[in-house]
Amino acid sequence: MSQGQIEITDIHWLMDILQNIDVGLVVLDTDYNIHLWNAFMDSHSGISPQVAKGQNLFDLFSEVPEDWFRNKAEPVFQLKTRTFTIWEQRPYLFKFRNSRPITGRTEFMYQNTSIIPLESPDKRVNHICVIIYDVTDTAVGRLDINQAQETLTEIQSQDALTGLLNRTSWLPVLENLCSKEAQHAEPSSLLIIDLDHFRDLNRELGHDKGDEILKRLGAALQTLGGETHGARLGGELFGLILKGKDATQAVSTAERLRRSIATLNKGSTTLISASIGVAGWHPSVTSAIEWLSCADKALYHSKESGKNRTTLYQHKQPD
Amino acid sequence: MSAHPAILSEDQRDCYQELTNVAMGQAADRLARLLDAYVVLPIPRISVIESSELNMALQDAGNDSSVSAVCQGFIGSGIAGEAMLMFNDTSFASLAKLMQYTGPLDKHAELELLMDTASILIGACIHGIGEQLEIHFNQGHPVVLGQHCDMNDLLKHGNNGWDRTLAIEIHYTIEHANIECELLLLFTEESVKTLNKKIDFLLD
Amino acid sequence: MTLNVLICDDSSFARKQMARALPPEWTVDVHFAGDGVEGVAAIKEGKADVMFLDLTMPNLDGYGVLEAIRREDLPTMVIVVSGDIQPDAQDRVKALGAMAFIKKPIDADKARTVLAEYGILTEA
Repeated sequence: MSQGQIEITDIHWLMDILQNIDVGLVVLDTDYNIHLWNAFMDSHSGISPQVAKGQNLFDLFSEVPEDWFRNKAEPVFQLKTRTFTIWEQRPYLFKFRNSRPITGRTEFMYQNTSIIPLESPDKRVNHICVIIYDVTDTAVGRLDINQAQETLTEIQSQDALTGLLNRTSWLPVLENLCSKEAQHAEPSSLLIIDLDHFRDLNRELGHDKGDEILKRLGAALQTLGGETHGARLGGELFGLILKGKDATQAVSTAERLRRSIATLNKGSTTLISASIGVAGWHPSVTSAIEWLSCADKALYHSKESGKNRTTLYQHKQPD
Repeated sequence: MSAHPAILSEDQRDCYQELTNVAMGQAADRLARLLDAYVVLPIPRISVIESSELNMALQDAGNDSSVSAVCQGFIGSGIAGEAMLMFNDTSFASLAKLMQYTGPLDKHAELELLMDTASILIGACIHGIGEQLEIHFNQGHPVVLGQHCDMNDLLKHGNNGWDRTLAIEIHYTIEHANIECELLLLFTEESVKTLNKKIDFLLD
Repeated sequence: MTLNVLICDDSSFARKQMARALPPEWTVDVHFAGDGVEGVAAIKEGKADVMFLDLTMPNLDGYGVLEAIRREDLPTMVIVVSGDIQPDAQDRVKALGAMAFIKKPIDADKARTVLAEYGILTEA
């Protein structure tokens, strides 16, 4: 090529390279008719160059969204600029089935594409080349990471045994309700539930059965109706936020819950009961911790006065 | 890093600024035609930054905490770098309107808008600078750095393998629309020497 | 009398580039200004029969200079040389009284074409 004249062998080489290169190459004219179709495209689509050449891209591949693709390709014709599409926008341009039964874990090939202008001797762009890259491995890796992150976040915010929120992720929910604005929009109340004599129960029935009871209680908290946010605060201690319920309504929900807890033994002779503390919101309550401490005091009162009962915390009235 | 000699003389800095001026004007012209709006051109900022300052440079760039960004590498004649386009998340609604995008403006739609704008701005800007220096830059594939992220989470901290390098910052705003974006061009440390030679040739 | 030409641009590289692009046979006195304020002062000193004006500049930008020329009726012919090539920018400077618009980067051909087109080159 150094003499400024391209040798025939060079062209053969170039054609060989184009045919064997592991990316897809498609040349299109302004009407989106196919002019070049390399071996990569042939192999993955099952359509030979002889068949593809001269056909319209959108007729041959109905999965290629015409408006979208034109939108990306027109600037290449008009502005002689390159454009790019990535798999995050659209997983693929051509729907090629996964060709690797062992290592391929997706149904189809993820693709990035570059669209480049091909200048004619008259300096006009009458043709463009679409280059298709197989990015399945990258995409799958990224999707795996995203999934793992989601799972991790979920694990971190949940109590493993009951599937309820844990204390750390539940407190902010309570904190958000600690304002005049939030309470004005909709009142909410707080319950703290503690299983009575749980240590004895565990000793008597074994930890497996004890865990089973905790799980059932967790499930019971989620089936009370209305908008609730339950959490396992530790051991046999549970917290429950009741949205849309004032203190009086919360007490009746607490009583309903206490009665249902008695049935958690599933007909066995073991007696199961719980003590509950209820605290409505009050303007003097400015943080989740303060609110929690009110409900805690009510719970303590229930425990001290014989367990298996509900106590409502009485906020001090301003003088 | 005072052991390093200053890697940019005042004449060189001035020349980079002028080259960028022209390139970003060409990019703005394309964006203006696409959006049918006027793009306000600032004076580009040419600076030498240390790797530890990269995050700080980004902080300066955007006031809003929530941003979306794409990055695209370019390389040619021994000069390499990356371009990053960053949008304030508040810009997308106006951008969708100007681009006459119909349909719900979800994360996916925003990605399309981000990619379309990046294609134009980054492509034209890189091409414009390359043309004046007689370099043909090849562009790599764009990479989404993040959508709706905190600026601090945009870039992974770590050893980028460089100490100090040339940074070009362009802050585009669209007139009469609430659209702001920041284009950052960062060259590799090794490229700066070659680039400076090209610049000196122009200055001669 | 030799024609006075003023090149007003904040970039010294751009000023040099502009000066180099002027036709070599054109005998003129070339003056320089580094921003709009200096530019307006130079016009008042009679250094700008023809002015090559950049748009994006600190202190006073090209639009500001055009406004000042119109407001104070300063005697000069302005050719805007700008990197801001948006159709809007071209319309705006023409509306403000600029005679011609040249897209940056400037080169000898572009300069010669515009100067010839407006008959400035032959006059000299």
